[in-house]
Amino acid sequence: MKVSDLLNNGFLEITLPDGDREIDGVYIGDLLSWVMGRASQDNAWITIMSNINVIAVATLADTACVILAEDVDLPEDVKAQAEIKDINVLKSPLPIYETAVRLHELLS
Amino acid sequence: MKELSLNILDITENSVKAGAALTSILVDEEGNTLKLTIEDNGSGMSEEVLKGVTDPFYTTRTTRKVGMGLPLLKLAAEQTGGYMTVQSKTREADPEDHGTKVEALFYQDSIDFTPLGDVVSTICTLIQGHPDTDFYFRHKIRKPDKDVLVEMDTRQIREVLDGVPLNEYEVIKWIEEYLNEQYTGPHDTE
Repeated sequence: MKVSDLLNNGFLEITLPDGDREIDGVYIGDLLSWVMGRASQDNAWITIMSNINVIAVATLADTACVILAEDVDLPEDVKAQAEIKDINVLKSPLPIYETAVRLHELLS
Repeated sequence: MKELSLNILDITENSVKAGAALTSILVDEEGNTLKLTIEDNGSGMSEEVLKGVTDPFYTTRTTRKVGMGLPLLKLAAEQTGGYMTVQSKTREADPEDHGTKVEALFYQDSIDFTPLGDVVSTICTLIQGHPDTDFYFRHKIRKPDKDVLVEMDTRQIREVLDGVPLNEYEVIKWIEEYLNEQYTGPHDTE
């Protein structure tokens, strides 16, 4: 499933510079140093963190997209950096668990 | 990082890479704050580089695009309501007094405070990995229910060892016990 396919399925776009990217698996975590070493390439990463370091970790781990749960928004400067670094960021109004369940339904 | 001691390890590795002969690691706990200071006499950073160090997309490493040591320490401090500052002077700017000083203040009563963790292990890991550079470690706790001062200086240990490398197993073990004893008080041994 492509990242852009999430848009009609309850996920909202924050920035989508690389929407054709395929999602393979899901990772959840808010402790950035932990996520950095554990999220796999092409994962959709669900978090409630929204500072600039999130974009750096997504770059390092090479995740397919970042999904901000609980309607968390991205500050403008962080959004700009995400665009520069080709990092897809979406958001979901649901809490993390329900966001993951929704992704599971879509991906399987 | 799950423990501040892992941040300490990360930041101190930068000091060693900057050619520091001596790196000081100071932890001061007083009231509801914990102040972490890591100061080295390495090559220092130019003003331009210094401006970029808290930007996660800045790095001195060529193998990855972003350096996360200082950005993560800054985040950890700010999450508790504290701050992080970095000061630096290059060898070119001052051949007599150069190096880098990182200072981070944490509020320990914040729910997002990361515990210090196993700082003794961190110190031992550093000495083991870099037996030819010197480390000074001091942990001060000044609280109504706790008054602790732990100190270690590899320059002094080196003098006593008279040529024995600091990363010998027995030496590291001794340093570990030496530090632990200062935290808990001496134990009777058989």
